[in-house]
Order: sequence, then structure tokens, then C-alpha cells
Amino acid sequence: MASKVISTTIRRALTKPHGAVSRRHHLSTAAAAATTSTATAVDSYADESIMMKGVRISGRPLYLDMQATTPVDPRVYDAMAPYLLQNYGNPHSRTHLYGWEAENAIEIARIQVAKLIGASPKEIIFMSGATEANNHAVKGVMHFYKKKHVITTQTEHKCVLDSCRHLQQEGFEITYLPVKTDGLVDLDMLREAIRPDTGLVSIMAVNNEIGVVQPMEEIGRICKEHKIPFHTDAAQAIGKIPVDVDKWNVSVMSMSAHKIYGPKGVGALYERRRPKIRLEPLINGGGQERGQRSGTLPTHQIVGFGAACDIAMKEMEYDEKWIKGLQERLLNGIREKLDGVVVNGSMESRYAGNLNLSFAYVEGESLLMGLKEVAVSSGSACTSASLEPSYVLRALGVDEDMAHTSIRFGIGRFTTEEEIDRAIELTVKQVEKLREMSPLYEMVKEGIDIKNIQWSQH
Amino acid sequence: MASRIQVLSLCRALLRAGRKFPDYNIRAYTKRRTLDGFRMNKNLTDPSKVNEAYAEAKTQLEVVERVLMSYLAYAPKTKNIMEIKLH
Repeated sequence: MASKVISTTIRRALTKPHGAVSRRHHLSTAAAAATTSTATAVDSYADESIMMKGVRISGRPLYLDMQATTPVDPRVYDAMAPYLLQNYGNPHSRTHLYGWEAENAIEIARIQVAKLIGASPKEIIFMSGATEANNHAVKGVMHFYKKKHVITTQTEHKCVLDSCRHLQQEGFEITYLPVKTDGLVDLDMLREAIRPDTGLVSIMAVNNEIGVVQPMEEIGRICKEHKIPFHTDAAQAIGKIPVDVDKWNVSVMSMSAHKIYGPKGVGALYERRRPKIRLEPLINGGGQERGQRSGTLPTHQIVGFGAACDIAMKEMEYDEKWIKGLQERLLNGIREKLDGVVVNGSMESRYAGNLNLSFAYVEGESLLMGLKEVAVSSGSACTSASLEPSYVLRALGVDEDMAHTSIRFGIGRFTTEEEIDRAIELTVKQVEKLREMSPLYEMVKEGIDIKNIQWSQH
Repeated sequence: MASRIQVLSLCRALLRAGRKFPDYNIRAYTKRRTLDGFRMNKNLTDPSKVNEAYAEAKTQLEVVERVLMSYLAYAPKTKNIMEIKLH
């Protein structure tokens, strides 16, 4: 029996070279395929254009979509790299050096995140991103306390609205507050909406589509008066405007790394300790993050998040000055050459890196299609696949035709003056081209008020 | 205290290294941030403050030199639209 086993092993070993040859042959085809693919890439480089999704673009578009995501800062990448290479330990391992160094790195990142928002490191719970943090906050607070009512606004991010819808199906009651035409919450309406059984107020700090900054301190004060937990989605706010959890009086706050030049896939939830806010966890398991969020922490991503927060804190003033200048340059440049341009949302209470514009008498999709050399979007990346106008703009009371033609320009740390000038040039060219073709614009120029036209019905 | 010559040569080294970034935006930012950073601290006289700023710039140079290798290794095949003349 034993000899039989040995002979089969020997036979296998002897036939191996054959296998090896075929494998090498396979490898060489792969190499050949790789060379051909680089060859085609070089070809497309030669005529300086990319073909993708049926569109020919002459180069990598200039990036003005900072609300969707931001490029990773080289300094963040530098901080992350060691944790993708040799420092691969599980931060929850207690028995060896690998675990200890990873845990140390995470605790440093926790301090960096906490410092940016004026919190204690013990109040930071790392998560996969702001969507998870929002779900955890809204559902967690409502499931823990036996109250039945939530107040939110119509312009919240989809993940807050969908969490609320989910709660509605479970029997909770939700009030979706309307906003004023400038996108800000009416504080009197908020006061009126509060009921004895209200368990949570959830209002975002900076809107992702129109960039308006809500009056956080006032909202916080109202919540404090009525002793209601206050949740805010600060994904678009941290690192860009000064955030202080005590000034705002928030109980829970969602954050994200990839909006502040950090890596995607990591975020955090701030949970107040004094007075203590308690949440029912969304994910159960190993009990990491004090049982609030089980699952192994992604060390490299958290280190990146921490580094991004640290840089954001040091660079906030410098970046803000630069971004404000670019925003003015962009708005003035477009207004100089085009009429019928409307800024969506308040101009006074606004984060400068967001400029949401509507262009009258053009069709939004054609405008975006014509602007292939500028990476912008019509609104949120999550809903940009649909042809429906943005629900945020509709909540502001923007007319259907103007809501359809909105473009969100996102300016960031790495945006240059030349990019803004090129964006102005390309946008103006495209809008003028579309208006030339538009019979509506011709009628407006002749002095006909298109709002009063009775379009005949078939 | 770091001498004037040392400071200027560090500034030049940062600018020279920054120019090598294949990414248009990073290249432009490194240049702007370096120049603004050195200008901001132009009037520092306190030796400890000068040394602090010098050490800070030196760490930044080290970061640039480290990440530059990765940026060069993974440079995109196509240029940014800003590096191409508009037709």
C-alpha cells in the first residue's frame, strides 16, 4: 500500500515538468496580452484622447466634483503606506507586537479625529463611512429610547431619509421639515414640530448638493431646551468649516474620511458621553469599539482618516482662503459672460467649496454631456443616475426647468486658478451653444414671458 | 538656527522635487503650498521658531520624496486636460 502511494507521488513528480512548461506557456501569453494592451494605451496616448462609455475625451477631465469625493492627499497616503506594508497586525490582537503597533496607530488617529471636532477620543466610534454612521445614529437612538417621533428635513442625504423611511415601516412617526427658499431650516417650524414623544432631531450641517450651512448652534440650543438628542450629518462639514460638538450641542455626529482628502471606506460616529447618549448597535459580533461597532478595524484606513483630520485642522484657514477666492472667480467669470444664471441655496450661509448653479433655457443632461472635459455632476452622486431633478432643489421650491439644469461645481484644496478659468470657458461655450439651438431662449430674447405661455395639449 | 542659505536651499529642494509629480493638481499644489509656506514664515526671528519651521519643511520634503516614487510608478497613461492645449 505504502509503495503504491510512493510510486504515484513519483509519477506525479515526473509528469510535473510538462505542467510547468504549459504554465510557462500560459504566462507568456499573459505577458503578450499585457504588451498589446499597453501598446493600445500608448496609441491612445499618442493622439491624446481616451475612449470610454462611447465618449471621446482628449485628456483626463479637470476635477470639480469635490462633494462626491476628494483626491487622497499625498501626506495621507504617506501616513497610510506602512500599514499596508509591514505593519499589518490586527489591532485587536493583544498577545504580540503586530497587534500593539496597530492599536497604537488607531488610538493616535482617534485623538486626531477627536481634536478636529473638539471631542474626547473616547467619544469616537470608527465605522465604514458616513452612510453607516447615519444609519447607526438614526436607528440606534430610536431603537434604544422608547420614543416614537423623529424630526428631520426634506433636504437630508438619502441615507438619513431612507433610515427614517425604514423606521416609519416599524411604526415610528417622522416629520420631514420643509426648508426656506435659501435651503435653511425655519427655526420656528422646528420648535412647532417638537412633540413630547420626539426622540431625535436629525439635521445635516453642510448640505452635499447645495452647500448651505444650517444654523447649528441655534438648532442645538432648541434641542437642549427640550432635552432631545440632536444628530447631525457632518460628512461635508468637518475639516472645512470649524466644528465644535459642544458649541453645536450635538449628541451624535456622522463623519467621513473621503470628503477631507482621506481614503474611502472609513468614517466615524461621535457619541456624546456627558450627558451619555446610548445607541443600539447595528452590527453585532466581537464587541470591538465598546460593542458599538463589531468587526476588525481597518488600521490603514483609520490611520489615513486621522492624518486627513490632522492636516485639515492645520490647513483649514489656508484652504478656506484659497477656495473662497476660487469660488468668487468662478461665479464672477460665469456671470460676466452669461445671463440667466441662478445660485441655488443661500449665498451667505454657505461652504465656499460648493457652487450649485442653474442655467436658464438649457437642458441639464445635454449640458453635462457637452461638458465631458469637466468632471462635475448635477447633484448627488448617489442620485445622478436618474433623470429626475434633484429632490433637494425641489424642496427649495426651484422651478422644474431650473432644477433640471443645475450643475454642482465642487472646489477643493488641489483646484487651481487655471482650472477654474478653463471650466468657465467650457461652460460658457456649451451653454451658449445650447441656447443658440433653443427656441425658448429665442422667445425670451424677443421679450415673451415663457411662464405665461399656454402650451397646447394634444 | 538654520541659516538663510540653508532655508533657501530647502525651499528650492522642495520646489524641485514637487515639479516631478506627474499629477497636475498635486504638482500645482506643492508649488503653491511651498512658496506660501516659506513666505508666511519669512519674518520669523525667534531662533526656536525658525528651527521649528525648518524642521517642519524638512519633514515635508521627506514626504514628497517618498510619495513621489509611488506617483511616478503609477502615473496615468493619459495627460490631464490642463496639460493639453485647447483646440
